[in-house]
Amino acid sequence: MAQPINRYKTDLRDYSFLLFEQFKLQDVLGAEPFSDWDEETCNTVLSQVYEFAKTVTGPLNRVGDTQGCRLEDGRVITPEGFKDAWKKLYDAGWRVLGAPAEYGGMDAPTSVAVLSDELLSGSNTAFNMYPGLCLGAAEVIAEFGTDAQKKTYVPPMMNGKWGGTMCLSEPHAGSDVGSATTMAAPVGDGTYKIRGTKIFISGGDHDLADNIIHLVLARIEGASAGTKGLSLFIVPKVRVDGTPNDVQVTSIEHKMGINGSATCVLEFGEKGECVGELVGTVEHQGMRQMFKLMNFARIGVGIQGLAVASSAYFNALEYARDRKQGSSIKEWKNAEAPRVAIIEHPNVRRDLLMMKSKVEGMRALITKLAVHQDRLRAVEGKDDASVAYHQGQIDLLTPLVKAYCSDEAYRVCETAIQVYGGAGYLKDWPVEQYARDSKIFSIYEGTNAIQAMDLVGRKLGQGGGKNTQTFLGEIQKWIAAHKDDADLTDAVANLQKAHEAVGGSVMQFLGWFQSGQMPNIVLMAERFLHMMSKLTIGWLLLDGATIAAQKLAEGGLSARDQAFYEGKKYSALYYAKNIVPEVIGDAKTLRACDVSPVQISDEAFGPA
Amino acid sequence: MKVLVPIKRVADPANANKVKVAGSEVSHDGLEWVMNPFDEWSLEAALRLTEDASAKTRTGEIVVVSIGPKAAVDTLREAMGKGAERGVLVDGEDTALDSNVVAQILAKVVEKEQPDLVLMGKQSADGDSNIAGTKLAELLGWPVINYASHIETSDDGKTLTIKRELDVGVQTLKVQGPAVITCSDRILKPGTIKNGVTPADFEYPDLGDLNSRLSNLKNIMAARKKPLDELGLGDLGVEPVRVDEYVGFELPAGRSGQAQFLESVDELVQKLQSEAKVL
Repeated sequence: MAQPINRYKTDLRDYSFLLFEQFKLQDVLGAEPFSDWDEETCNTVLSQVYEFAKTVTGPLNRVGDTQGCRLEDGRVITPEGFKDAWKKLYDAGWRVLGAPAEYGGMDAPTSVAVLSDELLSGSNTAFNMYPGLCLGAAEVIAEFGTDAQKKTYVPPMMNGKWGGTMCLSEPHAGSDVGSATTMAAPVGDGTYKIRGTKIFISGGDHDLADNIIHLVLARIEGASAGTKGLSLFIVPKVRVDGTPNDVQVTSIEHKMGINGSATCVLEFGEKGECVGELVGTVEHQGMRQMFKLMNFARIGVGIQGLAVASSAYFNALEYARDRKQGSSIKEWKNAEAPRVAIIEHPNVRRDLLMMKSKVEGMRALITKLAVHQDRLRAVEGKDDASVAYHQGQIDLLTPLVKAYCSDEAYRVCETAIQVYGGAGYLKDWPVEQYARDSKIFSIYEGTNAIQAMDLVGRKLGQGGGKNTQTFLGEIQKWIAAHKDDADLTDAVANLQKAHEAVGGSVMQFLGWFQSGQMPNIVLMAERFLHMMSKLTIGWLLLDGATIAAQKLAEGGLSARDQAFYEGKKYSALYYAKNIVPEVIGDAKTLRACDVSPVQISDEAFGPA
Repeated sequence: MKVLVPIKRVADPANANKVKVAGSEVSHDGLEWVMNPFDEWSLEAALRLTEDASAKTRTGEIVVVSIGPKAAVDTLREAMGKGAERGVLVDGEDTALDSNVVAQILAKVVEKEQPDLVLMGKQSADGDSNIAGTKLAELLGWPVINYASHIETSDDGKTLTIKRELDVGVQTLKVQGPAVITCSDRILKPGTIKNGVTPADFEYPDLGDLNSRLSNLKNIMAARKKPLDELGLGDLGVEPVRVDEYVGFELPAGRSGQAQFLESVDELVQKLQSEAKVL
């Protein structure tokens, strides 16, 4: 067994900054539904989860990567230590932090649950997928299930007795979920016989819990083709009466990363004995129900990206401070100059600051989304207009969180390896695993191309474009209020240009839709998603920088806070001056919309 | 059983490289505070003494006490989040404490609280004086046992059988409470505490690198509502006298030299003989 050593690192100071200094979560604490929560409790919970991450799940990250999962006698064996960690996780209660009290949870603010999730995912992405997906599946049953289903399935899925999965993909139905061929035949007693093959099922089988509850998308006999004909079924590995339910793991995948997570091929009803029950009572609601889980999972993937990127940054930082190589550039004429730590080299500092700004930007984006959710929960049932506003912003930001954070995670990991140099390519250091683990983030839970189409095809125009207008309006208002800030003038000017560029591109998409130029939309959607993400993050980082600037001006800070606020300022300046300007160039490219990729013939790509 | 566990907050030993000294003062600026690890061992021992670990129920009472500024409340809440029932904060300045001051204040808290046992760290990770526990016992006229590695209670809880692991072997002592006991880290091993309630075959998990159990969500939420008294020295009727005078602090010299990779064992032996002169 690889040495169980923790490599996970983060800085919780940024978390409390985002929650309480920038996004003002305290506005909604101390009152329903967060009456049990105050600032100190949120910070205590995060520090305890961080302890847990460093001491329980973190040390198993490389162990899981090295050992992987095994399939023996039709059962999946997880890496050494996973079982113990699973038990400790549920004993500690961290997985149900945000769940309602009736299920043993603590009704924590979503933002605290989300940042806790970052800590768990960052310490061990592969391990955290088992309980993470289980929670998502439990929440679907809790929302759409019958009272009996809620009573039977949700408590054991919340307390770690049972696991849970989501089963969408099939061999010929990946991104195209509507082609699913898994069938459900009504038995007559309210249950259905399920038959079909599902692939890429994370945690499709494991030895961490007594049972696994699969949520399976299937088509009831006679239902229409496409996504509209799909229904969602609860299919336990072991039936509630204790008999096996004809769900077989036929193989597990051998992957590039997240090796500790078992990715399974599941065969339902090979012997015709697989029994499932419809989630709730209405047929053909599968996609709508699954979307609840998919939205949860998409935000979860964004969190995974942030989590791994953050630890990659902090590890690269530690290495750069420690590794001596070369002399200072200021001594370039002096062959005898002393060797310096590589953090002294300007290019390394640039790479570090780029990583830092991206990581803090992703965390700000995700925290913003989560605090919208908390503010929504605070006014639910009381103020419909506010609910609609917050839900609109959540819907708009979800594809940005999923796609930008997952794309950038891989890039931050790549940069981290570069900072290490040759050492980063070795398994002696954690960053090569981070790079391998993070590649999947841009693919699963809807590829980033799908996220981009969700953004431009659905979210931009949602509510007649109201959510987008409100969102861009808030940025414009911020720019107007801060365009004369002495420290930030160039940076705010860049943001202003990026804002115009994004606004213009939204109109461009509208034009393409109206004139039916659909290939242009598909060609440019991902570029636009990144433009909008960069604008958003540039804004959020600069907003954070104004708070930091004020603290620095007030003075009387501890050395640690002094350094922290200075760091916030430079993260924002770097991002605004180096990354936000890319949006302006991207807008030109987008407007010109080179259609070479659709003009080139198949043959011209190269011989078959 | 009622156990008093004194807890000091100390600058995180993991960040010792951030400590700055100026003459007779150590600067606390920019340091992160943690529970003194030696106190954590005793807290863990106290938790095991006062619970049915198998049924996950508390059977006794733990009062955690700290002397320090208002912010030391966080340390007490952390201890309560691990299971302690109550907290007492005595107002004091981190830099104004020496072992004698601490012992004198704690003696007054003990008089007020009347615990069956005081379980404390054998020393603090910052001062390393190793005095406060013994001095407290002296002031109270109680027996003191240092470096306990095992604690077993009699059926009535009054008599304690304590093992101490020493260089020469294991010493077993019997003591009538109330008493002051300080613990060694061996106390964290499974099977070191027998309280007559937790089944003898119950296996505590290995804590690994931790100094005490992790808290869980329920306990953290509950800890917010647990009673915490804040007392001034006047409330305790004590004017502690500091006997130590800090004359000066110096940081240890930086590490000299660097690690060197040698080609062979022979070369290592030769260097150990001729350069390090240890062979």
